[in-house]
Amino acid sequence: MATETSGAGPADAGDSGALAGLRSRFEGPNTVGNSRGFWVGFLVAVLALAAYPFVVGSYQASRFSLFLVYAFLGLSLSVVWGYAGVLSFGQVVFFGVAGYTFGVVSVNFATPAGITGAFLVGVFGGALMAFVLGYFMIYGGVRNVYVTIITLVSTLVLHTFMAQTAGDEWTIGEAALGGFNGMPTIPNLAFGVGGASITFSSMTFYYLVLGLLVATYLGLRALVNSDYGRVMVAVREDEDRTRMFGYDVERVKLAVFTLGGALAGLSGVLYAAWGNYMSPGVFELTFASLPVIWVSVGGRKTLLGAVTATVGIEFLRNSLGGELAFVIVGVLLLVFILGLPGGIVPWVHRTYVEMRSDGATPEPPEASAEVSD
Amino acid sequence: MVNGLNLLFQFLDSFAFIVLAAAGLAIIFGIMGVINLAHGEFIMVGAYATTLANIRAGLPLPAAMLVGVLVTAGFGLVVERVVISGTVPNALSQRFLGRKVIEPLYDRLADSMVATWGLSLIMVQGVRITLGNSLDQIGTPLGNIAYSGFSYSTYRVMLAAVALGVLALTYYVFTRTEYGMRARATIQDEDTARALGVDTERTYMTTFAIGSGLAGLTGALYAPTITMVPGLGSSFLVEAFVAVVVGGPSVVLGTTLAGGLLGAINATVSNVLGTFFGRIALLVTAIVMIRFLPDGITGFVETLRERRQEGA
Amino acid sequence: MLELDGVTAAYDSTPILRDVDLSVEEGEIVGVMGKNGVGKTTLMKTIIGLLEPSSGTIRYAGADVTDAPADERARAGMGYIPQGRDVFPKLTVEQNVRMGETVNADSEQTLYDQIYDYFPVLAERADQQAGTLSGGQQQMLAIARALVSNPDLLLLDEPSEGIQPSIVDQISRDMQAINDDLGTTILFVEQNLGVIREMADRCYAMERGEIVDEVGPTTLADEDAIAEYLAV
Repeated sequence: MATETSGAGPADAGDSGALAGLRSRFEGPNTVGNSRGFWVGFLVAVLALAAYPFVVGSYQASRFSLFLVYAFLGLSLSVVWGYAGVLSFGQVVFFGVAGYTFGVVSVNFATPAGITGAFLVGVFGGALMAFVLGYFMIYGGVRNVYVTIITLVSTLVLHTFMAQTAGDEWTIGEAALGGFNGMPTIPNLAFGVGGASITFSSMTFYYLVLGLLVATYLGLRALVNSDYGRVMVAVREDEDRTRMFGYDVERVKLAVFTLGGALAGLSGVLYAAWGNYMSPGVFELTFASLPVIWVSVGGRKTLLGAVTATVGIEFLRNSLGGELAFVIVGVLLLVFILGLPGGIVPWVHRTYVEMRSDGATPEPPEASAEVSD
Repeated sequence: MVNGLNLLFQFLDSFAFIVLAAAGLAIIFGIMGVINLAHGEFIMVGAYATTLANIRAGLPLPAAMLVGVLVTAGFGLVVERVVISGTVPNALSQRFLGRKVIEPLYDRLADSMVATWGLSLIMVQGVRITLGNSLDQIGTPLGNIAYSGFSYSTYRVMLAAVALGVLALTYYVFTRTEYGMRARATIQDEDTARALGVDTERTYMTTFAIGSGLAGLTGALYAPTITMVPGLGSSFLVEAFVAVVVGGPSVVLGTTLAGGLLGAINATVSNVLGTFFGRIALLVTAIVMIRFLPDGITGFVETLRERRQEGA
Repeated sequence: MLELDGVTAAYDSTPILRDVDLSVEEGEIVGVMGKNGVGKTTLMKTIIGLLEPSSGTIRYAGADVTDAPADERARAGMGYIPQGRDVFPKLTVEQNVRMGETVNADSEQTLYDQIYDYFPVLAERADQQAGTLSGGQQQMLAIARALVSNPDLLLLDEPSEGIQPSIVDQISRDMQAINDDLGTTILFVEQNLGVIREMADRCYAMERGEIVDEVGPTTLADEDAIAEYLAV
């Protein structure tokens, strides 16, 4: 597998041994940005995001934190589609299930300890749902294309189901599922027990999400650049060949799919805590397609692309508002999947690298054909 | 006895709905290997065109329906040239940039889903912006069948007969016309068809136009019975989609069998537990069918037949 | 009638044909011989247009067809018979033959009578699904299909592959007859010694994507000389 020589030239040899060793865990051919310049830029970006609330005030920061929450959902699809080759229209299923689970548990146990538990149960619920659905499909030998279809249909099943939970009989403990009206009064996120606890709202919530996002991003970077990450990519590129080398392809796909479910679940729990509200709208096709749009535009095979496109597009959508926003998003999607199916971030990266090394860089061949069954 | 009659009507209604929703999509999927997630919006175009022709332009309903079909077929032609095959953008880019920029979407199932999804967003919002959140309603013709306390719309039951007619017409076109033979040859072996002089590009264009026209027909037929809102396509899309996948590669037989199976399940469960659960039952059945018969019903039958031939 | 000049063709980035020059005059039967893997099928696909050459030119009937798509070349008069026959399995025998009508679009003439003369078994099984025919029958069908519009040039890709020897003989003789009766030019690729000697007026030898030799009728009569090019 070719290694990108992406501007990591002699200038970087100046890094001390420990730093370089640490960096090497997060760098590799499977992510964009493998130079000192990149990490400096990354640090700047994180600091800028940290300073953001002080610039725009807590209300705007709170609105922005929603986009950061969505970034986890984008990452979940990037991991599953971009790195393991499985296009899932159903990440919102795990998002929604986790959100509702968090809602039900936290409404019933509204203490900090209870809410902490709700958080864990919610994320676990998302992962479990992904495991079950994934097992059903992957170990049933369903080809990737039909996995896509099944995930799409699952989203609709959940939408239809949750939509008819309006009646009083659909109450778990204190929490009414509420049908189309949704489940209100979900408490804010809190960690800890009794007195030794923090409740997150507005600013503190913003920093929590930002911190979690950075940690998750770095964690995923380390994962996809590790040996396991290379197996994931091998599965994406050619399942049969990978199987012939002795790898348990089904196990890899299921593990990745479950991880995707956990990430989507994390996003869902944070979403429920952010808005203090869950509704069946999260299972609608329009929302289910958003992760696909974010990741297609940003570049599904890069984590950075997933995060930046999610935040960028959602910010755009929010600023434009209304129907025009969806038209523009639709146009974006169309233009990108037809003209630049790899997404923005890889393209920017390629152009940047070409400019820096005067076009002499050998590029790893882009797998131009879609992953077919 | 009365409930049985009601169940029968629900079945016919459901069968017609599924078959008419799926027909255009099945043809495009079967011949071009493209999944058109904007299919629901094509139906919407047909419905809107019919309504506008009938209410604003005063055409009688059958003529208005014809307008709906033609408008949608024409629109489908444009979509095929610009989005699906990319011919128009490529021709432009060839002139100005010296190279092609777009790969056709044929046989690219996941990419075609994503691209047509983008198209569907544009269409729904575009219509909402230009024509508002709802449109005037054509009244449902033919009244109701009434029997001891129950009643059912005659029109919707009659659509079952129309659905069968559409299936028969599709069968005829694909087995008895030159176009149909060329299209089937192209599905079976595109390279060889091309090497024998078949203009496969034109075949795809025609096929997409026919599939779009059928979607337009569905929209036209259902325009008098459904609420005219920009998002009306979504209630057709899912049923169409799962019917195509469950039906399998044989366009006519697959759609018929899928319509029968899913329609029966939908009708039965709806009768007992209400329409929400009827829909859920339909969707869950689809999931189970896809999992166990990933090539659809007709694909499974094909495999059985091939295996029996080999064993013989 | 057909002229290839410096044609190079590749799959993805692996070159298969390297700088191929060959020509076929009207009325000839020309062969291209070579072992497995030298690029014979690639050559045929490039001539009919299923594969685009990365460099070089192809001229047919006086016109440059290098950029023309396959269906255009077929309509201009090239009849293509793929390796493995590639009949349309779910169409009937009769429908398969009818599919050949788009070949040689300028000519209104169809040769149904002659075809069923050459291959009476096709008339017998007209309504049978093509996928159920035997290998030899499928080969006859593929030939009939390419021939029905009286093309000027027939392109045959390994006509003997996968077919029992007695039928192979018959097919060789039929091709000769077609060339005699209809004046159809024939270009074929083969690795079967007998077929080459039986059918070809002259023959090119191919090795690793290049034309390495051209062999005339006298040398063709010498078994040992040809066997060299076909040795495994």
